[in-house]
Amino acid sequence: MSEGPIQNTLRENIPDQDVICDIQNVCTEFGDNIVHHNLNLKVKRGDILALVGRSGCGKTTLLRHIIGLTKPQSGKVLLFGENMHAMERVAQRRLMNRFGVLFQQGALFSALSVFENIAFPLRELKQFDESVIYQLVMHKLALVELEPRNADLLPAEISGGMVKRVGLARALALEPELLVLDEPTAGLDPDRSHNFIDLVKQLKKSLGLTVLFVTHDMDTLASLAERVAVLEEKHIIADCSLQELARIDHPFVINFFQSIRSRLERL
Amino acid sequence: MVAASFRVTQDDQGRRHVQLFGQWSLRAPSNDFAKLKKSLEPFFSDASTTWNLNDIEQLDAAGASVLLSGWGNKLNANIAFTPEQAKLFNTLIGLTRPPSKKIQRDWLSPLSALGKGVLHLAHHFTEFIHLLILLLIEIAYLIRRPQDFPWREFSANVYKSGVNALPVTALLGFMIGVVMGYLMSKQLHTFGADIYIVNILGLSIIRELGPVLMAVLVAGRSGSAMTAQIGVMRVTDEIDALTTMGISRILRVVLPKVLGLTFVAPLLVLWTSSWTLTGGAFASNLELGISFRFFFDYLPLVVQPVNFTLSLIKGLMFGFVVALVACHFGLRIKPNTESLSNSTTSSVVTAISGVILVNAWFAILTRGIGV
Repeated sequence: MSEGPIQNTLRENIPDQDVICDIQNVCTEFGDNIVHHNLNLKVKRGDILALVGRSGCGKTTLLRHIIGLTKPQSGKVLLFGENMHAMERVAQRRLMNRFGVLFQQGALFSALSVFENIAFPLRELKQFDESVIYQLVMHKLALVELEPRNADLLPAEISGGMVKRVGLARALALEPELLVLDEPTAGLDPDRSHNFIDLVKQLKKSLGLTVLFVTHDMDTLASLAERVAVLEEKHIIADCSLQELARIDHPFVINFFQSIRSRLERL
Repeated sequence: MVAASFRVTQDDQGRRHVQLFGQWSLRAPSNDFAKLKKSLEPFFSDASTTWNLNDIEQLDAAGASVLLSGWGNKLNANIAFTPEQAKLFNTLIGLTRPPSKKIQRDWLSPLSALGKGVLHLAHHFTEFIHLLILLLIEIAYLIRRPQDFPWREFSANVYKSGVNALPVTALLGFMIGVVMGYLMSKQLHTFGADIYIVNILGLSIIRELGPVLMAVLVAGRSGSAMTAQIGVMRVTDEIDALTTMGISRILRVVLPKVLGLTFVAPLLVLWTSSWTLTGGAFASNLELGISFRFFFDYLPLVVQPVNFTLSLIKGLMFGFVVALVACHFGLRIKPNTESLSNSTTSSVVTAISGVILVNAWFAILTRGIGV
């Protein structure tokens, strides 16, 4: 079995306080279709981890488990050391404020303006008055390099790239520690996706974020990811840096590494 | 994580020093900035207070913004901070300020609102006529090329808005029939005019109540569904996809709905009226002892058959109005949730109002027939 050498690339010994997300023996099945079987993964503080795999292999499902939208049939997902599904409501809400999510289509509230979308999580805290909220929203808009004059537009009136930026600004509104991105560059042209990646990288550095993302785009992967977790055959078969992928002997990984090698060399 | 906190000391000249500690950040989950701001209020308002921010572990935009708003959005010499914090403060101060809102009372605003409302209504009306004409053009096209008739969609709409509506129309019709029959038999019995229950129920249900009840139910059930469906098809670009395949959206989306409902509505009227009459007969049987056999034997003698024809014509018209109004509002939905909900509401309200209006107009036209 090829389990031996592959298992070595999974990290087992990280101090507990540095593990932001710990997925333990997660099993998911939809009817007869087993998606995850005893899946384990750890996300370390400060990582930029990419989750990759074939289409339909359960990446987005795993992401949804992590952010608490769904619950695995068995196994545990610990976020910041706590199991979200075994908490009381107030604590659960606080935990959820510690991560921000950017959905694939942005998931902006279509009835609210850009400003109100970003202000929404801040208002929900009920700790700030209007002038502070205004300043914080403008600050987040500046962070994602949007003009204040865009603040009054509705989501239907702005371009796809701007939707992603506003979604990112909303995800960052509560100063999260973990940023979860689902296909961050899907639907953006190469130029914009390049800018968006630079933006995420720069925010990661300035705000001290941990970033977890799912992507199909090799350029995004090569330029953003510091580590990569490969989901294949219901397991994480590799969790290592991009360069270390070269050492893994598995048909999917070999194939996969071929396609990103040239991109890594260009960087 | 250490929550945000502060300590106040007073020197011999009576000046107060505020020293801040901990995480002035949203990341510390136990922070409550509303409370912190409130307890710092007396020091914010005292200009002689000195502030020391050097011991803060972490200051984020939220914490900085709360402090800044206390200081009147500017820094002064009494505040000691690290260069890193200075950068954050200066970024926040440099941001655009909220536009000062001038509330001006406009005395003409009711008039302009009325004008806008009228224009809006006129716009709706022209659009509606526009849709009607487009539909007629498509029907003319279909007469020349009958093989293009969208049979599948037509049949699907007949099934969805007709067959699936059978249980609910039957149940509601029956219950309303029972209630009406019960109330009327009480009244008629006091005059000893028991037998007239058949006349009253027969005429009112067949001529008025059956068609209107059917139209109200169908507007709520199928009209709203049509509006929402077309709206979502617009939002997800499905209508544009149809157009690019060279398929007319009117022919494929609007026409089957309108013709389907127009076709099935008279049948639904028949069905609803039958159940309402059955309910009425049931109540008169219980209250007045009139047998079912007698009720339905006597019915054609006292209600002229032309009323039945009128009710079928009403069914045709109501089905047409409900479906056309639903499509009209569906095609105007903009890609956001607010517009979807507004249009669906307007669709149902307009359809029901339209049906009642058409009903009134038709009642005037046919006032000499059948009564």
